[in-house]
Amino acid sequence: MHYVIIGNGVAGINAANRLRNLDDEAEITIISYESKHHFSRTALMYVFCGQLSEQCVEPFERDHYEKMGFKRIHNKVVSLDVLNKKLQLKNGQSLTYDKLLIASGSVPVMFDWKGADLEGVGNFVLWSDLEWLLEKAKTAKKAVVVGGGLIGIETAEILQLAGIQTTFLIRESHYWPVALDENEGTIVCDHMKEHGIDVRLKTEMQEILGDNGKVTGVKTSNGETIDADLVLIAIGVRPQTDWLADSGLNFDDRGGIIVDEQLQTNLENVYAAGDCTSVVWFNDVRRPEQLWYTSRDQGLVAGENLFGLEKNYKRGIFYNSAKFFDIEYTTAGYVNFNFEDEQNWYQKEEGKPYTVRVTYLPDKTVIGFNMLGRRWNHTILVQWIAEKRKLDWVLKHLNEANYDEELMSPFQVSGGIS
Amino acid sequence: MQAGLLTTFKSPAKSRGYTAWILSVILFVFYILVYFTPIPDSWANAVGLNGKWQMYGVLYTLAMIIGGYFFLRKHGNSKYHKVRTWSVIFFQIVFAFSIPEIMGLFDSKGFNFAKFWPLGIEYLYPQYIFEYPLLIIVYAFVASLIAVPILTLLYGKRWYCSWMCGCGGLAETAGDSFRHLSDKKVKAWKFEQWSIYTVLFLALLTTALVIINWGLHFENEAGQWVTEFTTFDLIASKIQGTYQFIVVAMLSGVLGVGLYPLMGSRVWCRFFCPLAAIMGLVQKFGRFRITVKDDMCISCGNCSTYCEMGIDVRSYAQNNESFKRASCVGCGMCAHVCPRGVLKLENKWDFKQSSDKSKRPVFDL
Repeated sequence: MHYVIIGNGVAGINAANRLRNLDDEAEITIISYESKHHFSRTALMYVFCGQLSEQCVEPFERDHYEKMGFKRIHNKVVSLDVLNKKLQLKNGQSLTYDKLLIASGSVPVMFDWKGADLEGVGNFVLWSDLEWLLEKAKTAKKAVVVGGGLIGIETAEILQLAGIQTTFLIRESHYWPVALDENEGTIVCDHMKEHGIDVRLKTEMQEILGDNGKVTGVKTSNGETIDADLVLIAIGVRPQTDWLADSGLNFDDRGGIIVDEQLQTNLENVYAAGDCTSVVWFNDVRRPEQLWYTSRDQGLVAGENLFGLEKNYKRGIFYNSAKFFDIEYTTAGYVNFNFEDEQNWYQKEEGKPYTVRVTYLPDKTVIGFNMLGRRWNHTILVQWIAEKRKLDWVLKHLNEANYDEELMSPFQVSGGIS
Repeated sequence: MQAGLLTTFKSPAKSRGYTAWILSVILFVFYILVYFTPIPDSWANAVGLNGKWQMYGVLYTLAMIIGGYFFLRKHGNSKYHKVRTWSVIFFQIVFAFSIPEIMGLFDSKGFNFAKFWPLGIEYLYPQYIFEYPLLIIVYAFVASLIAVPILTLLYGKRWYCSWMCGCGGLAETAGDSFRHLSDKKVKAWKFEQWSIYTVLFLALLTTALVIINWGLHFENEAGQWVTEFTTFDLIASKIQGTYQFIVVAMLSGVLGVGLYPLMGSRVWCRFFCPLAAIMGLVQKFGRFRITVKDDMCISCGNCSTYCEMGIDVRSYAQNNESFKRASCVGCGMCAHVCPRGVLKLENKWDFKQSSDKSKRPVFDL
């Protein structure tokens, strides 16, 4: 049996590893063009800053492919011929598969702003983006980051730390409204400002200005002009599935490959996992779920299903984490879904960017947690949500889920605002 | 991002650049001069100090204080790191340096109460320890053979290695900027297991031979300390000398510190220290472990990179495996640099290595 996995990211490598655990004999080929070794995309920012080296962000030792018996093709797949079970590579070669996993990930979203093709405009998502930005950062003095999400704040952070004066354009009235409410978003904004970022809320980029083919600044929706020699677009990512247009696969309206519960596509012997895949979310909406955690889980399940175990991919209760400069963030359950009758218990610790928000229903059943600053064990929070614990009980037991470093002063419930 | 770590891999001194090599050579030369020549005595006398060892003690303590200051500038925002850094500096100033010096003022041989056999291998050499008052003799035996294992069972190696020990203290302060240079490969782990237990074996053998040899000596009528087993005496003395030269001088001193800028600050502690070997074995059965939060790891590699003992922490974190490793000194840096708060140092008796992932909770509205 020849398994071919397209993509060397967390979904692809996890599928390959799982498959190898299940089947010693299988012939497993991994094809990807982005980087020679599997790396942690979430750690690109650390390599940019020099906190980690390039090799540090590789989760496995470099002999991993050899040790696991994976054949590794460092090239790009340009098309898929399902009838003949054949893949065409960019270098002209082709190969056949018995079972195929598509884990081609995502690419940054770009709008066709005027000036988007100027030198100095880019993203920070791919390995090539890292190399590009490292080169640019040597001479850049001022940067504009567009897009009030996680990649946006991380990009703003590393540019500012590299000594490049950074302006951060956020379309919404506070930072990351998908995840944070106004209080929390404001805390993060203030924290960014303390680090010297020029944060512009309710501001969109209208046009990128240039001279001689190079970026000189941007024009905002307020009519203002901001000087810059670097413009970083971080308005999201979309499934990297353009190359599959003629394959006969079904896609959702975002370009995600539609799969069933077992991550099988509409085509026989073709599976998909990770960012390029459209799955049903916990709230019954179908769309790609472009998170490290979900890609990892999908990769593991896909590995099992390639082998023939018929396992369902279950997302379980939502959780996620992030870090905004020095502020860690943990979330679990249904937060910011703005259910009609939901209520929120909220507490901020005096003088610190530490907050706790517990979302609950009128009968006091807790459905979500949103935490800034301190560390929390999301597995316990998720457990409480599954057990339909009530607010009073949760507040009384909250420290059981605390995960702070030792010797840190314990969290104390002091009133809180509902 | 972690303030203070930003330029780690961009600075030649911290990433095996030419400055690192120069620094390493300087350290090697300095240690060879101190251990094997009388030259540093003249430097000591020139600044009014009493011999090279007193000068070495002053320099060592200063290095820890200055290194500690820079460490706290980087990581002082964490109380755990603040407290343990002050702790190692306190034990260096008071126990390793001042108390022995003060004892010297009273014409007594200095004794470091914060050092234990077999790191201080001579602490169980009869001819060495019996020159001290009874109280110190009892302390040396009880502390080394009873207190050390009990404390390690309760708190892991860290109560000593990253809170009290002088070697560890220097690594955590002056050596902190080199912590990421430890080798994380499985190969290095294999070498470590081989090397550290070899040194432990040598330490046990040497101690046993010295004690037996001492037992075979007696005082003759002329008041001389003699033995009838002259061949054994010769072998035992030879082995004692060899251990002193190879392990104490070369491995803990010259290589241990000389390799700081090239292989990280814990070369001695990780590969060779016999006390660390004993405590590591005890630690595996004790309460201390590093707990991994399920499914939250992003495999970024900060934990593994900044582990001074070369533990590939990430390989546990990304597999949801809480773990106990013999070499872990509990410095807590893996947990500190983790951007997702995945790791937690804990002392608890119950140890669950990994959770049942098939039981992931679901919720219906």
